[in-house]
Order: sequence, then C-alpha cells, then structure tokens
Amino acid sequence: MLKRKNLKILLKTLGVFLISFQLSCAQQRQRENIIVASAGKIESLDPAQANTLRTLQLLSALGDTLYKINKEGNLYPVLAKDLPKVSKNGLFLDIPLRENILFHDGTIFNAKAMEFSLRRFMKIGTLNYLLNEKIEDVEIKDEFIIRIKLKKPSNSIKSLLTSINLTPVSPNSYINYKEKFNNKEFVGTGPYILESFDTNQQTIRSFNNYWGKKPLNKGIDYINLSNSSTLFGALRTKEVDVLISNSIDDMQRVALNNMVNQDKLNSGEGNPIEIGFITFKSNKLPLNNNIIREALSYSIDRELISQQVSFGTREPLRSIVPPQFHKNQFAPWPTYKPNLARTLLKREGYCKTKILTIPLTFRSNVPADKLLALTWKDQIKRDLSDCIKITLNGIESTTVYKQLPEGAFEAVILDWTGAYPDPEAYLTPLLSCSEIENNTCLKGEAVFSGSFWANNKVQELLDISEELEGENRLQSLKEVEYYASKGNAYLPVWLVKPKAWSLKNISKPEFSTNGLIILKNLKRN
Amino acid sequence: MSSKKELFKYILSRLFLLPIMLWIISSLVFILLRIAPGDPVDAILGTRANEFARETLRIKLGLDKPLINQYFEYLNNLLHGDLGMSLNTQEPVKVIISKALPASIELAICAILVASIIGYSIGFLGAVKPEGKIDLFGRIFGIGTYALPPFWAAMLTQIIFAVLLGWFPIGGRYPPGMSSPPLVTGFLLFDSILNTNIHMVYGTFIHLILPSLTLGILLSGIFSRTIRLNLEEILSKDYIEAAKSRGIKESRIFLKHALPNTLLPILTITGLTASSLIGGALLIEITFSWPGIALGLQEAINQRDYPVVQGIVVIISSLVVILSIAIDIAIAYIDPRVSY
Repeated sequence: MLKRKNLKILLKTLGVFLISFQLSCAQQRQRENIIVASAGKIESLDPAQANTLRTLQLLSALGDTLYKINKEGNLYPVLAKDLPKVSKNGLFLDIPLRENILFHDGTIFNAKAMEFSLRRFMKIGTLNYLLNEKIEDVEIKDEFIIRIKLKKPSNSIKSLLTSINLTPVSPNSYINYKEKFNNKEFVGTGPYILESFDTNQQTIRSFNNYWGKKPLNKGIDYINLSNSSTLFGALRTKEVDVLISNSIDDMQRVALNNMVNQDKLNSGEGNPIEIGFITFKSNKLPLNNNIIREALSYSIDRELISQQVSFGTREPLRSIVPPQFHKNQFAPWPTYKPNLARTLLKREGYCKTKILTIPLTFRSNVPADKLLALTWKDQIKRDLSDCIKITLNGIESTTVYKQLPEGAFEAVILDWTGAYPDPEAYLTPLLSCSEIENNTCLKGEAVFSGSFWANNKVQELLDISEELEGENRLQSLKEVEYYASKGNAYLPVWLVKPKAWSLKNISKPEFSTNGLIILKNLKRN
Repeated sequence: MSSKKELFKYILSRLFLLPIMLWIISSLVFILLRIAPGDPVDAILGTRANEFARETLRIKLGLDKPLINQYFEYLNNLLHGDLGMSLNTQEPVKVIISKALPASIELAICAILVASIIGYSIGFLGAVKPEGKIDLFGRIFGIGTYALPPFWAAMLTQIIFAVLLGWFPIGGRYPPGMSSPPLVTGFLLFDSILNTNIHMVYGTFIHLILPSLTLGILLSGIFSRTIRLNLEEILSKDYIEAAKSRGIKESRIFLKHALPNTLLPILTITGLTASSLIGGALLIEITFSWPGIALGLQEAINQRDYPVVQGIVVIISSLVVILSIAIDIAIAYIDPRVSY
C-alpha cells in the first residue's frame, strides 16, 4: 500500500517535471526574436541622455542619423538626401532631407522634426556642449532643408552629424518632452520600433513602414546582464543568441575566441574605437621634464603587456587616434627601447644612485587597468630596476575623473572613445587648450585630461584643421599627433576592438564604422 | 496585562525613535555622500564637458545651491514623502525603489525559506542524535557554508548548475524574450500567478531557484548551528529529564517540549537574517544579474546619484526598524517572560 502511495507521488513529481520541461521546450520553439546580450542596465532610451555604448547600440537600431561614415572614412547621406552644402564663409550648412520618411508614430519626418530634435538636444542633451560649442542656431530653410548656423567654420561638424545622439525624434510624440527626458519610449525613424522597455530587457520589432532596407529578423530582445561571467555563461548555454563584447573579461574573450576557432560560434569584429593610454602630469616634478617622459615612452613593452593582459586581443598602439582614421600607417610614438630609456635617464642623473619613482594610478573597478599596471610594473622591474620604480595606486573611476583636473595623479591609466568617428574626437579632448603658459595648459581639455600639457603649435594646427577638408585636414591632424608624441604627455598602450559572438544558427555579427553592431543584419539561419 | 502595557509602551517608544533614527541616518548619508570624492556631474557628463556645460547641469540638478540649503530642502522633501528625482535619469526615486525592492524581497523570502528548511532540519536531526553522522555532517556543513565567500559559491553554483548541467538559467529575473507581466505587487512570481500566465510563472520560478538556493544554503549553516546549540542546551534542562523519567516517548519530548522552546532563538535569527536581506544580497545580485535593491544602490553610488542613494538607505532603514519591531512583538507574544 505504502509502495503504491510512493509510486503515485513519484509519478506526480515526474508529471510536474515533464510539464515544466515541455513548457521550457515550447518556450525554446517560440523564440522568434534574436536575443542579444550586453553588460549593464539601460536606464534611458532618450538620445539626449544616452552616453553608454549599450544604449547607443539599441538607439542605432531604433533611429537613423543624417549621415554615416563608410569603411573608406567618407561621409554618406542616410536621412539627408545629399552631403551638406557649405556656404562660402563656412558658417552655414544646408542639409537637404529625404522625403516620404515616417516616424514610428506615423507622422512625417521633415526639417521641422529635425530642427525640433537638434534644438532639444542642444537644450537638454547631457553631451549638448559638443554641439553648443560649434552651432549657433538651427533653422528651417524649406520643408525638407535644414540650415545649421555655425559659430565658426568647422569641418568636424559633419562627423558629429553621424552621432546617434542626434537621431531625430517625432515632435508629435515628444511634445511633452521638449525640456525633459523621455526615458522609456523612443519614437524615431529607424528600422525597428520599440515594443517594450525595461531597464534589464528591451524588445524591438521590425518597423513595417521603414523607408530603407528592412531588417533580416523579426525583432531583437536586447537583454542586459550585470557581469562578464553571466554573459559568457548565457552564450555558452545558448540562453542568448548574440553576445556583445563590452565588459567581457579578457580571459572570457579568449575562451570565446577559442570556441570560434573550434567552429562552435561565429564572431564579428568592428573597427577599434576605444584607446587605452597612460597620462603623465607634465606640470610638476619630476614629469615636467620631457626627457624623463620620453624615457618612460621608450620603457613600455606594449607587445608583452598585450599578451600578458589580454592574450593579444588588445592591439598594441603607438598613436592616440585609432588607425582607421589615419587611412594609412601612422604611429608616431616610440617603440620599446629600454636601453635608450636608461641612457636618457642617466643623462638626467638617474640610474646610478637615484631611482625615478613613478606613482601609477589605475581605476580599481577596471580589471584590465589593474593588470596593465601590474604588468608594466613587473616589466620595468625586469628591464630597468636600476633606474625606475613604479608604485601602484588603485582608485575607483568616479574619484579618478573628479581628481584628474586637480592634478592629483603623476601617471594614470585611462581610456577614451571618441564621441563621433573622427580623429578630432580623439585629439581635441586630450590636447586642446585655451590658455597656455610655458607649455602648460591653464584652461582647457588638457587640464581635464590630467596632463596639463599644451603646445601653441598644436593648438594652432587644431584650429586650422577645422577649416580644412579631406587629405589636408588629415595631414594637419597627423601633425598634431606628431607634436603630441614629441611632448610625451600621453603614452598610448592599446586599442580595443568591439567584438560580438553569435551562435552557429545566427549570422555573423557585422559592425558599422562607429563600432556598433548592425542589428538589422542579424538573421537566424 | 502589565506585560502587554509594557510591550505597548516599548512599541510606542520605538516608533517615536524611528523618525529620529531616520533623521540621523539620512543626515549621515547626505554628509558622507558629499564628503566622498567624485561628482554626479562627472558621472553624467564625463570629464570632457566644458565648464559652462558642467555649471548648467549643476544648476539644473540643484547642486549649485549652498550645501545647507540642499540639506534642508532634502529634509523638507523627505518629510513630505518626496524622495526626489534621480540625478542620472530624472526618474522619481520612489519609482526606482518600487521596482528594485520587491526583487530583493522576493529573493530574500525564498532564500530564508530554503535556509529554514535545510538549516533547521539539519540542526534538528543533529540534535536528535548527537555525535551521529547527521550531527557531524551538520557541523561541517554549518562551518563550511558560513566560511564560503558568497561570490565564489554563487559563481560555482552558476557554473555547475547553469553552464555545465544546464538545469537552471544563468541569471536574470525572467526569461529573455518574455516581457514581464503587468506589475501589481512587483513580486514577479506572484504577479505572473495573478496574470495566470503559466509560461511566466514557470520562467520566473526557474530563474528564482538558483539564486535563492545559493543564498539559502549559505544562510542555512547559521540556522542549523543555532537550532542545534539551542536544542542541546534545552535537552539538558531538568524538565526534559523529568519528562524522560516519566516515560514520555522521546519523539514527543522533542516535538512537544524541546522544540517550542527553541522558537525564540529561531525567530530572532530568522528575523535578523530577514532584516539584513532587505537591503539585498549584493554579491548574489551581481553574480546572478538579479535586479534588486543592492545592485541598484551599488550603481547609484558609482554614479554618485545622491537622491537614489539617500532614498534607498532611508527606505531600507525604515523597513529594518519596522521588521525588528515586528519581531519584538512576536517574541513578546511567544514568550510572556520577556519584558521590555
């Protein structure tokens, strides 16, 4: 009797399990959307508020920009009908807009909508200073022509117009959000329409009335997990279809790459947009001496650091602009020459009885920074222990950013991603200075970057480049980099390429030139 | 009657002290956040924004006002039940908390349930047969789970049960691709049941298992040790000996005489654990991508989002105080000897 009762319980339990697994299978079968995972929450979908890569990634699928940059580095129109017409004095940009484009709410995209969006960004956008520094006013010239009035001639404005932050939003839907953020909704012109929004998961589906090439998938579920291990595990267990590389630890990147080599996953790689570098404070002893900074530039073994820290996934870098913007090989910073570093330091009275001590600060919440600091310290100990000693100091990133302009750090490891795909977006934030005294920046970007290094020639070239175009502009910006390399206030270390991995039944992820996955090209095989 | 009066007085005094305590806590948080290095403007704009943009945002966020004005404004808003707006998203802090807190409470309830079942069972069985196999296992289990670093245990369970065996999802609160049910209580499992959405009930339940099992097992060690030690002490009391000498069955002695007397420490330890879990289990929430209040607090601290940090701390403190009062009341009812 007892056995029979036990059997019944066992059967019931099995029944529950079977139902559960059936449900789970049904769920698997129902998966129509492609699940894309990335690290961190998305707090707001307002383009005026967006400043994280994951948010820009999603916005790039929901909205369009006026222009994009192709693989050759040239501007091409998207929502614009043609390239901007620049007035003779360089102060006016007339942008003709495409017609017959609808917003997700069914209203028409025109110059009024574009003006609304640009004005809104200039008023409430968290990065509005990027625009406000350059733009005087925005006007409607015709129903489908918008005019941008500049404060001074600027060529980088064209690249700025490729920024997804400037994607147009429907004035009709944002009427109550003219002066405040609309965090949970997005009504734009992009290939996808927002179906649901939660800070941890967003669902987008194909927009039937999209004017351009339709998405190859029905929709995307964009999920946000909090750490690298969970993201890695989620792809391994096939809980997600695509994994975006932001915040994936280097060890796990290598494991994923191995799976690609074993033909278990697909992977796609974009142009590098993030650079990692060390900033030296150039206005105080001992690093106010350029020869010492030069010696430090010769002392770093980038190849070794890249291998030790990232198993070679982070490419060694000898410039402060990602290589695709140079169009051809350009690496003005010196290569690893420890003997030359020793000679220079000896000339300055070090190495015999005096050892140069460099306190190196790293952001304690960035694992790669800590590994870089430890590896460089050990490499210096191996190669130049008679001349240099590196002491380490880990500080949380928010505190580092706050104390940078206060000159709190002799040497600090940082990274930078340009706000738009242009060399200027890398050079100006590190080198620009509005008040220079004896090669020291008193006011300007170089103060915020913590180097305090400035050079009149660099500033002059940066200003000139705004009025130049094409190859001349590029040459001028290369010259800026050359001077910066001679100043040795920054020590570029590596490049980080955006990467994504997908399951075998999903197509290989493709990247746009701004380092974002083209979500509409993902398809289930 | 007099003990009831005493209890009533005690509760009144605790409730009277609650606002004072909250004032002290909120003031401390306010001051500490301002002393801490870092700036919400930096967190929002990055370091590259020019001085004009920084100043504009500072004015917009009300950070340009003198600190004392900010403090009184904050206290005034707090008195009116207004926790302010997030500096980062401009979303009301109340809304942010109302989304994250139920997630933490849901996890805490399930973890305590797991911890109680496992911990008290092991502790009880160990006490029934001291020095037996179960008792020995219970001791090792107790020490082991107490000594395990939570993040390591969480990662281990994640690798074994989610990645290698594939029995449970790796993280999150509900399956990817499924939209969350309309929030009524904020407790997803409960809301899915209310919505009679069987897929969602299954999805939320299966996502809840691994984090709550991990947290529950980690807590069960303390539970098992507590009941084991208390039972041991009670079993050596005279009235137990007397019961034995009267020839009462051992199982009856355990269940009717010894066990009810361990209720007090059980209630206390369960209550204390619940209080500590109201603020979320940060490492578990991070490892399992559980969108709870601890994860929210950590992110708010990183972004120097003052109103969110202040709001979360005030709400959690209030809940902890209220819970501890409830436990005191329960203890007073269970054991009339307890005086206040």
